[in-house]
Amino acid sequence: MMEDIVCDGCALLCDDVSIEIKGNEVTSLGFCRLGHTHTETVLKNLKVDKQDIEKIAEMLHTAESPLLFGWSRTSNETIKEGLALAKATGAAFDSSTNMGLTQSMSHDIHKMKLDCDLEHVRNNGEFIIYWGSNPTESCHRHPSRFAVLPRGDKIPEGVESRTIGIVDVRETETMKMGNHRTIIESGSDTELIDALIGDIAGTSSITDSVVGVPASELMGFVSALKKSDCTIIFYGTGILNSGHADANLTSLLNLIKTLRDLGKEAYALPMWFSGNAMGVIKETQLKESSLKKLVDGEFDVALVVGEDALSILPGTAARALAKTKLIYIGPKGGLTDRKATVAIHTSDNIAVGSGTMTRIDMVDIELTAGAIDNSQSTSMFDIITSLHNVLKSKQGGK
Amino acid sequence: MKLNPMELYSLLPKTNCRLCAPKTCMAFATKLALGDVTADDCPPLLETGFETNLEKIRNMIAPLQSAEETGVKLDESKCTGCGNCVVVCPVDQAAEPPTSVGKAAKGVDTVFRVENGISRIINLEKCRRFPPDRLNCRVCEQYCCTGAIEIW
Repeated sequence: MMEDIVCDGCALLCDDVSIEIKGNEVTSLGFCRLGHTHTETVLKNLKVDKQDIEKIAEMLHTAESPLLFGWSRTSNETIKEGLALAKATGAAFDSSTNMGLTQSMSHDIHKMKLDCDLEHVRNNGEFIIYWGSNPTESCHRHPSRFAVLPRGDKIPEGVESRTIGIVDVRETETMKMGNHRTIIESGSDTELIDALIGDIAGTSSITDSVVGVPASELMGFVSALKKSDCTIIFYGTGILNSGHADANLTSLLNLIKTLRDLGKEAYALPMWFSGNAMGVIKETQLKESSLKKLVDGEFDVALVVGEDALSILPGTAARALAKTKLIYIGPKGGLTDRKATVAIHTSDNIAVGSGTMTRIDMVDIELTAGAIDNSQSTSMFDIITSLHNVLKSKQGGK
Repeated sequence: MKLNPMELYSLLPKTNCRLCAPKTCMAFATKLALGDVTADDCPPLLETGFETNLEKIRNMIAPLQSAEETGVKLDESKCTGCGNCVVVCPVDQAAEPPTSVGKAAKGVDTVFRVENGISRIINLEKCRRFPPDRLNCRVCEQYCCTGAIEIW
């Protein structure tokens, strides 16, 4: 049994899990269903095929307008190498994280030190709010490892020492854990937050229902916010993809400032699913999305690394991507792999166990142990580095 | 099976005689509902005139007193392996203290352990619902978001 390997099945990057591999049999301890299934899949599809590097290098070398896309499931070192490759080929560099998360991470809410790490949440978080996020269907172990159930320095009784609030546009499974379950109309987040702020700051008071939520329910919510010495808001795609991301984040920022003005601790953290989406944010300075250019057919060659882009992208962008000369580098399987003109299959990070990835709270997690021995594995980093070297020799010979 | 403390309270003598450990009848009713005390722990209830109520209370709390009348079922098809049951279970916290701070259970002494992505009950007999504790503990069911755990 290999102890304490890092699961890259989601952005929590759990590093307290164990695995044993006997032939085709994968036995794990501590992995959630998603992590185990991910691990089982990547370890049963270890086909590594390097001979197409030369072909891919030639495609990128002769491309007029290449796109390098993906990266959210690769290591930070691979992302850096990808950026160097983009620079060398004059390619556009983009990722699925640029569909909401990048924008939220560049918002003032993350420039003003209004976030903290998950250990701080575990040790101090009294009022935990999942706002437009649903860990039961995404990051399964988020409540049990960090936010809801575990004990911490100032949380001696675990969940008994915390209050849990869930705000969403529908009833979610996570609501079963909630002390405050608030179902709101889609797109009404800002209105609700402003009402909460007004009541907390004393500039207005909630006397009637707001966005369909009864006043009595909201008064309980306000009371919990005032009572808590440390409030943590985990905002998810419900906030980011509602069409009002900027306004929603600004309202959350104002709520946090209001709580801090009362002398309380308050933070906001994003909930995002992909294994190393935060690594993409950390290592790159993505600003403009390439999706419009992709839809307009401006790219002739697209190299997708470590993401099943065709199954993630919106329909029009996915159809446009499929029309390019599509190259895929990453673990075997998925729509992008099947549709690619050329594909190189690598081992997943969980098999390789080297490099670093960045957890959902921006903490770097080192992949110190791989699930298989190195002789069987070829990492995405190895392939991108080799590709870069072949390209350099081609460009040098120009 | 969930007992309503108010129903039990209505059957108690309601004298607040302070002869029992919880001191008040309401607190005693709550403890009765949790299985922490029995009808015999209330001296006035054993006196003449309360025979009918005593019998009713004994019948109501009987399932809590018998291991054969309770059980914990885990529907693996609904389980996501989130580990909520492992971390929240008081027995697991005592048997493997790192679980109390959110770590995965690795040993063999816990009630729950997540194996191959699914929580499994590996020591049902250690559950506090069974003798000698016989407590009406249902925290695993309460925090199982997908409804995979069912207690009866």
